[in-house]
Amino acid sequence: MSKNRNVGIIGCGMSKFSSHREEVNQPEMIFEAVEEALADAGITMDDVECIVHGNMELFEMVHQPDMWHALGTGTRGKSGVRLTTGGTTGATLACAADNLVASGLHDVVMAVGFEKLQEGHTTGGISNMADPLWGRKLQAGALTGTTALQMIDKFGEERAKACAMKHRVIMDEHAALNEKAHRCFNLERSFITEMMDASPQLVGELRMIHMCSQSDGACVVIFASEAKVEEWKKKAAWVHDHETVHREESIIFTEEKTTHRVSAERIYARNGITNPREEIDVFEMYDPSSWWGLHWLGEFLLLDGDEHLQMVENDEICINGKFPVNPSGGVVASNPIGATALVRVAEAAMQVRGTAGKHQVPKPVHKALASGFGGTMWSTLMLLSDEKLNLEEAS
Amino acid sequence: MSEANTEQELIVSRQILSINQTFSTGPVMGRFLIELRDNKRIMALRCSANGRYLLPPREVDAMSVTEGDEWIEVGPGGTLREYDVVYYASPDPLTGETRDVPYVIGWVNLDGVEGIAPLWHLVEADDISKIKTGARVEAIFAEKRSGTMEDIKHFKLIEEEA
Repeated sequence: MSKNRNVGIIGCGMSKFSSHREEVNQPEMIFEAVEEALADAGITMDDVECIVHGNMELFEMVHQPDMWHALGTGTRGKSGVRLTTGGTTGATLACAADNLVASGLHDVVMAVGFEKLQEGHTTGGISNMADPLWGRKLQAGALTGTTALQMIDKFGEERAKACAMKHRVIMDEHAALNEKAHRCFNLERSFITEMMDASPQLVGELRMIHMCSQSDGACVVIFASEAKVEEWKKKAAWVHDHETVHREESIIFTEEKTTHRVSAERIYARNGITNPREEIDVFEMYDPSSWWGLHWLGEFLLLDGDEHLQMVENDEICINGKFPVNPSGGVVASNPIGATALVRVAEAAMQVRGTAGKHQVPKPVHKALASGFGGTMWSTLMLLSDEKLNLEEAS
Repeated sequence: MSEANTEQELIVSRQILSINQTFSTGPVMGRFLIELRDNKRIMALRCSANGRYLLPPREVDAMSVTEGDEWIEVGPGGTLREYDVVYYASPDPLTGETRDVPYVIGWVNLDGVEGIAPLWHLVEADDISKIKTGARVEAIFAEKRSGTMEDIKHFKLIEEEA
């Protein structure tokens, strides 16, 4: 890794996430997040040089959404880029914004992630992502029960199911602390089995209660060069690194390592992280379901055996635990898809900057990790820190 | 804006898009589909650079970044590596019809494939609770075939003799 110059996140904003945003159109909803991010950074639109815009165009099926959305993003007269990479779109926006500032092309870049899922058909859109020559007939949206099947085989039915539900309840407890969260059910730990049994099966042992929501929402993150951060005297979450890994096939199971494990190995190796559970203070994970959240915890932390199950069983991933995961409530609580992975970056940055409010973890946050996930098993990781990168050392 | 916050009716615009699409298959996927249609044969493309089987076949193996160069007939029997029992009634993107549930989709490693190259398709059985990882299945071809993946109707579970 060699970075030309340091890049810091200085402002984050989000609209309210909900399945009922009929009172606003797309640019109006985006404007809510833009306004909040600018206020958080203490700057105005005049200070922003470039807007990186992203959503999953298959969902709303609007051509050149960045043009329509210019009314809400404030792109008029500025540089603009539109990106879409499926579920990882938000993470790709953050990577691109970091690159644009690090390269020296721009000093201040605003990443805008958006989705209004109620205006399209989510499962239909995702099914159309499958290869049109051999996969479309079979794709059931983003739903699969294979992870549940594998975990039940590996860890026993009772323990695996209890762990997935415990993960779900912990995320719900976190969502209760986040005023922006779409869903919070106040689930109770003592009724885990009853809640699971009462929830309809979607695919295999993936049940409705395990699955993420379909949300409307927008997220904005402002990236600035080190010179601007210092000129404006801002508290920044410094971008240390990012990594993207994906596969050739849409969904094919082999015995190779998961893309999550490969991306984690690479980013830890480049940044001298030998024990992520000790060296990273909070993790915002793109967890589309409780089964994936549970399984992927082990993959991202490079764990073997049942350590990731133990981390859930002993409350280690709770907001006040040793390794907090998704103090925001995560993706099972809110999922405006094109914004979702950018929300992970925003939440990680808020934890580093100490601006997460009621869901701020009650310990110092020096390093935070954010993940994105999407089709063809894309895995994107971004590592943030309260300290600038030592550019000479890093190169 | 203050008026909008009080009692204004929320007007929405309802629209339905229906799109006809025609995709070119290219020579490699095209050969695979012709073999299904004309000969009821499932052909994998092998890449001699690393021995990897590509199924469905792709022009280039992404691991070795070389072209697949050897056609090999595989199946029609195979072993189920993974499966999903789908209860959620999602729309079939090819027809728009809501699918009957439950149905099973599986990843089948066909006989003759060296290594892992599972083909993704529907799996049927008289009793779907008998579908398990490692089960033996066999491709059932459609009577009328038109050069699509649906020329394989589904994979049928081969029940073990008791």
